[in-house]
Amino acid sequence: MNRAYLGEFEELVLLTVAVLEGQAYGVTVAGELKQRTSRIISLSGVHIALYRLEEKGFLLSELGGATNERGGRRKRFFTVTAAGKQTLREMRDVRNQLWDSIPTTSLI
Amino acid sequence: MANHAPTPPAWADRLLTWVCPSALREELLGDLHEQFADQVAQVGERKARQFYSLEVLRFVRPYFLSRRVASFTNSSTSTKSTGTPRYSSNEYPQPSFLHPAMLSNYIKIAFRNLWKSKGYAAINVVGLSVAFVISTFLFLTTYFQLSFDSFHTDGDRVYKANLFFNDPEKASYSGTLPLPFTPALKAEYPEIEAAARLMNGSNVVEYKGKFFDKNVMFTDPDFLKIFSFPLLKGNRATALNDRSNIVISQSMAKAIFGKEDPMGKRVLLGRDSNAKEFTVSGVLADFPTNSTIQYDAFIQITNAGNYQSDKDKWDAMSHAAYVKLSPNVSRATVENRLKSFATKYFSGDIEKLKKKGAKPDERGDLFAIRLQKLSDIHFNTETGGKSGEPITLIYALAGIGFFILLIACINFINLSIARSFIRAKEVGVRKSLGALKTQLFVQIWGEAALICFVGFLVGMVLTYLLLPAFNTTFQGKLTLDYMLQPDKLVLILSLFGLVTLVAGGYPALQMSKFNAVDVLKGKITMKRPGFLRNSLIVTQFTLSTLLICCTIIAVQQVRHMRGQPLGFQKEEVISIPVGNQEDGQLVLKRMRNRLASDPTIIAITGSGVNLGLGKDRSTSRSVMGFTYKEKEISTDWLQVDYDYLKTLNIKLLSGREFSPAYPSDTLDRVVITESMAKMIGEKDPVGKYFQTDTAGVKYQIIGLVPDFHLYSSKSEKKPITMYLAHSQPISYVFVRVAPQSLAGSMDKLKAVWKEVAPKSEFIGSFMDENTNAWYKGEEQLSKIFSLASSIAILLSCLGLFAVALMVIEQRTKEIGVRKVLGASIPNIVFILSQDFVKLVVLAIVIATPLAWFFMQKWLDGYSYRIEISAWIFVLVGMAAILIALATVSFHSIKAALMNPVKSLRSE
Repeated sequence: MNRAYLGEFEELVLLTVAVLEGQAYGVTVAGELKQRTSRIISLSGVHIALYRLEEKGFLLSELGGATNERGGRRKRFFTVTAAGKQTLREMRDVRNQLWDSIPTTSLI
Repeated sequence: MANHAPTPPAWADRLLTWVCPSALREELLGDLHEQFADQVAQVGERKARQFYSLEVLRFVRPYFLSRRVASFTNSSTSTKSTGTPRYSSNEYPQPSFLHPAMLSNYIKIAFRNLWKSKGYAAINVVGLSVAFVISTFLFLTTYFQLSFDSFHTDGDRVYKANLFFNDPEKASYSGTLPLPFTPALKAEYPEIEAAARLMNGSNVVEYKGKFFDKNVMFTDPDFLKIFSFPLLKGNRATALNDRSNIVISQSMAKAIFGKEDPMGKRVLLGRDSNAKEFTVSGVLADFPTNSTIQYDAFIQITNAGNYQSDKDKWDAMSHAAYVKLSPNVSRATVENRLKSFATKYFSGDIEKLKKKGAKPDERGDLFAIRLQKLSDIHFNTETGGKSGEPITLIYALAGIGFFILLIACINFINLSIARSFIRAKEVGVRKSLGALKTQLFVQIWGEAALICFVGFLVGMVLTYLLLPAFNTTFQGKLTLDYMLQPDKLVLILSLFGLVTLVAGGYPALQMSKFNAVDVLKGKITMKRPGFLRNSLIVTQFTLSTLLICCTIIAVQQVRHMRGQPLGFQKEEVISIPVGNQEDGQLVLKRMRNRLASDPTIIAITGSGVNLGLGKDRSTSRSVMGFTYKEKEISTDWLQVDYDYLKTLNIKLLSGREFSPAYPSDTLDRVVITESMAKMIGEKDPVGKYFQTDTAGVKYQIIGLVPDFHLYSSKSEKKPITMYLAHSQPISYVFVRVAPQSLAGSMDKLKAVWKEVAPKSEFIGSFMDENTNAWYKGEEQLSKIFSLASSIAILLSCLGLFAVALMVIEQRTKEIGVRKVLGASIPNIVFILSQDFVKLVVLAIVIATPLAWFFMQKWLDGYSYRIEISAWIFVLVGMAAILIALATVSFHSIKAALMNPVKSLRSE
């Protein structure tokens, strides 16, 4: 069992990167999460999650183009690796199984 | 363009660059700014800025900080966890500057640089090592002096009790107290944890027929509770509880008992008929050299001769007293509580003071019992006790040490800065290859540290070699093992660190600031001499001139004091201390009989007080105070013997001298000096009577003599009353020898002494040597000053020499041009020297008033003082200018004589 453990927030970030497909960098990920979760999301938190995921091998990153509103600075785009996708899938399976085993009467 | 593009707060960006790894800076800032732009569009600039600040603050967290720190020290790989390469940043990954490959380069470069400029390295090493030696000595001496009595475990609670008299003439302290003082104090004040009296009882110790002259003190059992001197043998709590117990020091135990166990052995104290037997009940470890309490043995004060008669007398002052307060009370509270104690027991003294018209001092005390901190005792000469060095002198020594270090550092800084343009290219290249400022700083500073270290090593070796010489010259008690104690080592090493920091840090800072582009273009050459360098040179010469002026004035003052007529003829007199083993009166009688027919002996007398400091190094003084016709009189009470005036060549003004023809001379006749006559207000005192206490003897004045110095001429001649008493021991025998037979006289007396005083060792010395010993402190002071000032000026010149060399090297072209255009050689020398001479003149102008001020203060402590004359400053100023000129002109003449063709050929 040498699979890296994923925290809840990290899982959300990983999913978001998958959702954004190719357009995932700090600001977009944070914006997406804000929209979908209506939580307070800080950029620093997002970045740390991204770097950690990369260190664990679930994400890949490369420096990409710069835009003007960034003061001409380049962005680091993140993409989900095969291992990342695999992990996401496994987690969804686990959750689905758990949902399926809930007795129907108490379904909320 | 947009006149106002909304921007995020700059401080936040700066903070971010601080906390984030440099490799991530770009993308993070980018993301933040992009978000900011969105925010501005959504909620407006003000809110966006607030939000931005919060966002940045959230970046201050361990995840980033730890990586930020790692990015300083780690080389290209920085993720420890998986080893995946860090983001390929646009920056070249910095190898750590402690990288082995780099280190070897630094060391190589450092040695090459040193090698290339051996002269400068040598100047620096010599300067620094000399400064290290001197300052180490001076600082260690200071440290030693300041550490006096600091080793007692509860030393902060131990005080010496003094009586304070706010006398209208001069507020004074007295450290001698009456015998009932401490018992009453302990009985009435529970916060006094322990109290002990300490009285001199210098005694003969006899063991198995052998006699030893030992310093035995009378004290109380509490003595061992107050002071934490280690007791090697015996029980601390009970060692002094018995009247016939004696506690001795380790070295005394060795001297008397050799290898035997001293515990329980019996020794006899005192002479012949009144000898008492004591049992050794404890052995104290030898006292450390920095203890003011240095005695051989202790017995109970109840054994003192005056104990029975004086133990309830509050007006018979005889001993010192130490107290230890409870941990929870302060000195001030106890002193306040002691006010009632003072009024209760010392009403007589208070009455006397009131009669004199004394007023309470600022603390509202006319008379008080004051507690003196243990740590102050060594420095305070005012309150009696053993005189130590005055604390100002100690600080002066440390100050001189600091000055000299500073001068050496200044040399170093000046030389480094002057040479920095030579290395500018190296700095430029390093910078263009991506060296950071910090790395350059560390490199250059490291080189400075290397030189400092060499200087330091040389200095330490010299210190070791010169230690014995230093100790003999300045009566130091420093030993090598003293220097090697951890705290001293820390002191020495921190000294070294300080010098490296001061001397190496500034030039390194300057050089690491060089602009790489300018340097490589060749734009940076040595600018005109900086303000800094000039002010440093001025500082050096100010310090040197100051020290030289002070030295000359101190030497003059010492000379002046020694030249004071003492009022008696000190030449051709031999003074012999009798010691404790013999009865001085008997010895004197035998001497007279033995030498009566000797033509080379002019006169023999005895006295209770030695004139000057003999080989026994002891001095004593007894002062009598009484009232005469409503006047408070205080006079030295001097015991003499027949022929005193003849032996010392003091002439009689009126009346007569003591003579065996008048038997009552030994009872109640006195001879007084002029100032005593003035004090009692008698124009013609011979034949007058006075009493020292109402029930006591009526003394009649039989003779009047001119004033003379009984003690050193640091203070003025005091009133003296001489009396003759056969019942009191004679401590010193004075013999006046005919001048022509002076040569063999000492040996002759030594032989005679063996016959007349077999138990006492002969330690006679000439009186003029003894009186010179009075000024030993000042002598040493002027010696230290002389040494320091000569070293200071030497180091300053060394620095000037080197700086001049550099400056002139840079101006060779200018000189060449001037010569071609027809300047004469003197002209050129003048031009080159004047810059430096100006600085030295400025230094003299600054130093003179300072020296004048300090020395005035110092001289105020002497009754016979010189007036500081202006010619000293003129002379010193001229000398300083000349020395500086000589230093500089060596180079400038050489430069002026150079062939201009040579210097102009290049380009």
